[in-house]
Amino acid sequence: MTPDGALLSLDGITRLYQVGSEVVRALDGVSFDVQRGEWLAVVGQSGSGKSTLMNIIGCLDTPSGGVYRVNGHDVRGLADDALADLRNHEIGFVFQTFQLLPRSTALANVELPLIYRGLPRRERRLRAEAALRSVGLADRMHHRPNELSGGQRQRVAIARALVGEPSLLLADEPTGNLDSATGEEIIRLFGELHARGHTLLLVTHEPRLAARCPRAIRLMDGRIVADGPGREVAAFGTAPVVTA
Amino acid sequence: MTSLLDTVSMALSTLRSNPLRSLLTLLGIVIGASTVVAMMSLTEGFRLKVTKDLAQLGAGSFQVQKWPVMSFGHVDWQKYARRKNLTRAQGEALRDLPHVAHVSIEAWNPGGEKLWTRERATKPNVQVAGGLPDYQYANYVVVGQGRFLSDVDLKLGRRVVFVGADVADLLFPGEDPVGKELRIRSTPFTVIGVAERMGTALGIESRDAFAVVPINVFDQALGRPKNHNLAIQATSPEDVGKAIDETVATLRRLRNVKPGDDNDFEIFTNDSVSESFNSLAAVVAAATFGVCALALLVGGIGIMNIMLVSVTERTREIGVRMALGARRARILAQFVVESTVLAALGGVGGVLLGAAVAVAAREIWQVPSSIPAWAVVLSLVSASGSGLLFGIYPAARASRLDPVEAMRTE
Repeated sequence: MTPDGALLSLDGITRLYQVGSEVVRALDGVSFDVQRGEWLAVVGQSGSGKSTLMNIIGCLDTPSGGVYRVNGHDVRGLADDALADLRNHEIGFVFQTFQLLPRSTALANVELPLIYRGLPRRERRLRAEAALRSVGLADRMHHRPNELSGGQRQRVAIARALVGEPSLLLADEPTGNLDSATGEEIIRLFGELHARGHTLLLVTHEPRLAARCPRAIRLMDGRIVADGPGREVAAFGTAPVVTA
Repeated sequence: MTSLLDTVSMALSTLRSNPLRSLLTLLGIVIGASTVVAMMSLTEGFRLKVTKDLAQLGAGSFQVQKWPVMSFGHVDWQKYARRKNLTRAQGEALRDLPHVAHVSIEAWNPGGEKLWTRERATKPNVQVAGGLPDYQYANYVVVGQGRFLSDVDLKLGRRVVFVGADVADLLFPGEDPVGKELRIRSTPFTVIGVAERMGTALGIESRDAFAVVPINVFDQALGRPKNHNLAIQATSPEDVGKAIDETVATLRRLRNVKPGDDNDFEIFTNDSVSESFNSLAAVVAAATFGVCALALLVGGIGIMNIMLVSVTERTREIGVRMALGARRARILAQFVVESTVLAALGGVGGVLLGAAVAVAAREIWQVPSSIPAWAVVLSLVSASGSGLLFGIYPAARASRLDPVEAMRTE
């Protein structure tokens, strides 16, 4: 919780899965820190462990070994409820498939995290409207997801991730379901958010997206094989390799 | 509180988005709740009507009969058939008892008679009684036109008849019936009076389709009956108990009932009639609750089924909600509230339907009904309760989902 400490701190994180009689090491000793205000990408092929890493960073899953701290909270041994509260306060999720509730309006979708924080209706409404305005959707608040374009849906999802003022914006393949022009739009929005001081962590398999980030980490077989400026990590092999 | 309201409004919006399915799911609950309300309204209506009718009969009177007036369950009719008849002499013997004011000895023809004039005839459903002047007091007959039977009518054996309002309306429409002639079977009678309209008994049977003739003339026209009913008016309402004791003692002596044996006749007071009606109502209530419990069980299983489907359909949504910080208890509450609200809506629908049946019964078929508040409350509570109960399992399944897995489902 020290103000000058790292926002995220991963130290020797392992995650084992039991598949039949075999034990799969999805993460095998991953360590790195993320400072406040950083914008980094975790990049890797499918099966590299980046989804597992994202789940652990997002407090959707807990590591089998190692220490993970988010904003000073050690997630080891936390019960489901404590993890839910931690997600609610510290993490804003943006998913590849948007994961909006189809029957709810944009506004209602954005309000969701605040409902689980127990905020009164009026305050929720005001904050959700502000969040939607900040992603440029002031005129789409009462539309349902099926009335919005892909890019607009992802903006709603980003507004929903931002509305609770979390420590970290955690995005999983945020441009994966968008055409390149719309994807570019979303990336520019991330750039703006970064400029406003948000901490962003993108999980992606696209080197081009990683190249846009100031910092990137490359995972392979559950280990970090590169950690450095996005452009260099994206072009793997030429970057300075920092092994854990 | 905020969270409960949020959960309820969330549940309502989900149900709104699937109206047909919600409606079909609710049928069981609707049937259960409407059955309770409709049946209890009818029973309550009858109960109020019986109470009112009995109050009209007056507090100071009671009846003596050979046969039980109302019974259900196993009845040993043989036992009643073996009893001696109640005779006129036995009735006359009660007249001198200290707390007895009037004794109405009544001969009734089982079934009904057709009363007719040259122009018109009634249906063969008019209750014809042979009576004494006391009939009027013991049965609370109010004379509308003309007069009731007198002692002189009996002494002289006059062929006169006092008729109910229905009979007068049917045979002498728009005329003054007093002094006119009508026939019972082949015997002509002169109408001496018409009763004020009394309305219906229990809302079904008209109490105005009757005629009273002097009891000795009844013998000539319709045959001498062996058995009689006695309607006795005590000297005051407070004296009914004493009058009953005196009557029982006198009749036991006259009918040679051995000490220790049961009475071989029935005494009815208003209390005993309403008591037997209340036990009948209790049987109806028990049967209704049985039906209702069954319908709620079926309805509850329907709700559980639809909630399980709903949990499966909304697995992704549940995952998203969890990812956004919903605790497991909140997910559990959301689905329990949803099934409870669903069932409560069914309860409301059932109450409205049952109330509509009750009102229709009253307004269209003139069957008395009165919707008791407790039946409404009971229906709503038990309907919601079944939603709550049967919602727990699907909700528990929803709350145990893993958010990562749940978000991955298509």
